[in-house]
Amino acid sequence: MDLNGDDEDFEWEPPTEAEMKVIQARRERQDKISKLMGDYLLKGYKMLGECCDVCGTILLQDKQHKNYCVSCQELDSDVDKDNPALNAQAALSQVRERQLAAQSPAPSQAQELNGGPGSSQPNVSVPRPEHCEGAAAGGRGLLPPLAVLPPPAAPSPSVPATTTTPAPARPPVPPQSAAIQPVVQEAEEAVLAKLRWATNQLQSSASLEASIRLCSLITSCASSLRSLKELSQ
Amino acid sequence: MVLVEHLNLEHVLQTVSVLESVVLRSFGPEGGQVLFTRDTGQAMLSRSGTCILTALRLEHPLARIVVECALKHGSVTGDGSKTFILMLASILRMIHSTACKEPNVSHTYNSRDVSEATAARRLADELLAFVLEELDDLIATGVVPYGCCLSWEDFTAKPQLPADKNNHCVQKLLASFFQTRLGCTHSDFISDLTCELLTHWKFKNDQPSLSLQFVNDNFPALHTSVSGFPISCSRLIEGQVIHRDFATPCPQTDHKPVKAVVFTGYLQPKLLSAGEVLELRSGEQGKEGSFVQFNTWAERSLEGVFANLQSLGVSVLLSGVKQSAAVLALAAHANMCAVECVSEDELSLFAQLSGARPISDCWMIEPDNVATLTFCQPILLGAHRYVHVAFNDLEERLTIKPCSLIICGPGEGQTDQCASAFQDAIRMLLSTWEPMGRTASTASKRTLQSNKRTSFHKDDQIRNAPVFKPGCVIPAGGTFEFLLNHALLQQARSCLVSDDANMGFPAVSQLLANALLCVPRQIYSHSPRCFLQTQTALLSFIQNHSPPFSLVYNQEHNTVLTQGQDKSECPLVEGKQCMHCCREADKSSKGFMLDLGLESVSCKCQLLLAVLQCVSSLLHVDTVLHIHTQSRRLANISSEGTEDEAED
Repeated sequence: MDLNGDDEDFEWEPPTEAEMKVIQARRERQDKISKLMGDYLLKGYKMLGECCDVCGTILLQDKQHKNYCVSCQELDSDVDKDNPALNAQAALSQVRERQLAAQSPAPSQAQELNGGPGSSQPNVSVPRPEHCEGAAAGGRGLLPPLAVLPPPAAPSPSVPATTTTPAPARPPVPPQSAAIQPVVQEAEEAVLAKLRWATNQLQSSASLEASIRLCSLITSCASSLRSLKELSQ
Repeated sequence: MVLVEHLNLEHVLQTVSVLESVVLRSFGPEGGQVLFTRDTGQAMLSRSGTCILTALRLEHPLARIVVECALKHGSVTGDGSKTFILMLASILRMIHSTACKEPNVSHTYNSRDVSEATAARRLADELLAFVLEELDDLIATGVVPYGCCLSWEDFTAKPQLPADKNNHCVQKLLASFFQTRLGCTHSDFISDLTCELLTHWKFKNDQPSLSLQFVNDNFPALHTSVSGFPISCSRLIEGQVIHRDFATPCPQTDHKPVKAVVFTGYLQPKLLSAGEVLELRSGEQGKEGSFVQFNTWAERSLEGVFANLQSLGVSVLLSGVKQSAAVLALAAHANMCAVECVSEDELSLFAQLSGARPISDCWMIEPDNVATLTFCQPILLGAHRYVHVAFNDLEERLTIKPCSLIICGPGEGQTDQCASAFQDAIRMLLSTWEPMGRTASTASKRTLQSNKRTSFHKDDQIRNAPVFKPGCVIPAGGTFEFLLNHALLQQARSCLVSDDANMGFPAVSQLLANALLCVPRQIYSHSPRCFLQTQTALLSFIQNHSPPFSLVYNQEHNTVLTQGQDKSECPLVEGKQCMHCCREADKSSKGFMLDLGLESVSCKCQLLLAVLQCVSSLLHVDTVLHIHTQSRRLANISSEGTEDEAED
């Protein structure tokens, strides 16, 4: 297959350890899917000729003619576990990463972050998982790549630190005249912040999968911004 | 609306993996049974791969292709549909991992998927070409020397001594087959019954495959399923059982030979059907005749036919269609018994065995249409009454003793299973004894290649001769796969060393060798240590003892392949001597090679070929067009896959 000796980008190299883990995890997941599907076939489900739109797995149909996707409805999603908006662990690991990265250069940024809502702690506190869970449960109803919209009223001090994933700077929201305006404005700000963060991540990202996911996040941020602009008009 | 769906390798792999997970748990000697239930409350236990795969509800076109290929293979060799799926999945996985490593030249192909698919397709074609060329030689050198050849004569001879090894082998082959199908309890009994049946049906001085083919083709007419009795009640009875009851009362005969005729058409022709007009004319002037006259004429002609039959001494009428009431009345009046609606294959078997031609035109009844039977009487089997006939002069004419099989089972499902196990056993024996010759095309290809190769040279005279002798068996339990794996790896190594022109073959044989090991790995899945032990023992055995040495004799006496602990070298002159000293070695170490019986080499060979052809067909599918119509059959034809042929 090596037609033109075009080797720089496309030569096969043995996968790095991280990639090996990803490959291994994916293979295990596929095996699990196959086993579950085999069990369902033996229970009398029908294997259809169509694939699920979300994950691409083959669909099954039960005796009541209801379609069923094994990977979406039974297994935890492959992608969700890395999305900080939906998973406490991912949020936790992301905050820790941020802490490590922003430890020396910007203690003031952290203060600014927590200054507005009036947190008493000088440093960025590592958020407790329960808050994450609550927020994650609230955010699970939305599509995975879309960032969760902040709740209209944000009473607790630690909520902004967790649900909106510490952005470098979150400008305070000035009160507007119309009732719906502040909400839309807040939403736009949040989405923009997320967009900014994703761009930063993308610039420093080294892995292919992460870059793909970040690009899709940016796409969905842009589309949500568009719909918010329509809403405000 | 036509939906166009492009396939990628992952999709194919997932489909086959799902089917693999379905059959995996029933695979092997430790495999479990699947309980089939219906809404009506009927339940059936089965381990047969054909049963499981047909019961799945599949609408996915690729899955349907795979299942059909597996079933077709099973219908030829009688076994191995689960192994088919297992090997298919394993080979596809190996191809997938190899194809992913190909360098992606993205400016030639649009995406990684497409380049992977192309690489996979190329690998599959190479595999198939490799196997078509090299497999027979590899098996002849690497596998057959370690097996033993069963001959047809030994098979049918009754075992005179308990130490009669050859017959023991044949019983063993059948017993291990029935063990996988019906369980251990009845396998010996059923295999004895099968041997007896085949002994009776052996055409003397003929190829074994002819009589096996005859029994296989006529099996539906040769067996009767009776449910409600234990399996051990199955037996053979002489003659043929016609699966219909008498339509007229059967007169009591006093042990005289009975004459019978076979009618394929109606005795009283149906002149009036719905929507037709019958025009009656009488006399030369063409005056309109009356219906009464017509009726009288019809009756008189029928009486004439019966008078003819009585003059020939016929007392039994076998008819393939339902005769009219007038015919039956006349038959009863003339003291003849009639059997109606006999199926075509039973009638043809009857005609073959009795030597009488069936009557198509009832006006022309010749003496050679009349068959002579020893008796023709009703027989009560289970809840049904059938007709039992025995043929008179068969010994002189055909030199066989025809007999019919009565298969009993506790329930209808089990009896059907037993019957299909019987038929599959006959098919398996047929493919064991069928000489594995080559077609003209592959032979000519080989003679072209033989100039380049340093291995095997074949003369032109023996071009169409079978590569290895028919009837070859080896111990079951993965031995075939281990041996072939070893042979493939050796060949790959020697190809690299000798710097062969064909660079692709070592990679392909490596791929195939690794894929083959999935079968023994699954057989010994309950104990991975057992797998490694068996493999090591077998390989060390091969290295220590040069061929021909039969592992079959080794296994019979439960000997152990010691791992070099035993210092005594066995003399390689005769198998018996080697068994002797191996038995002494047995006492020192414990045996771990499971005695799993025997399996046929040619069945395995055909399986491998069928799997690779299926792989090639699957990977050549580019696009699936979904046509949403009411008819399910049309939706299946919409995919562009090709059917697999079981023979090459």
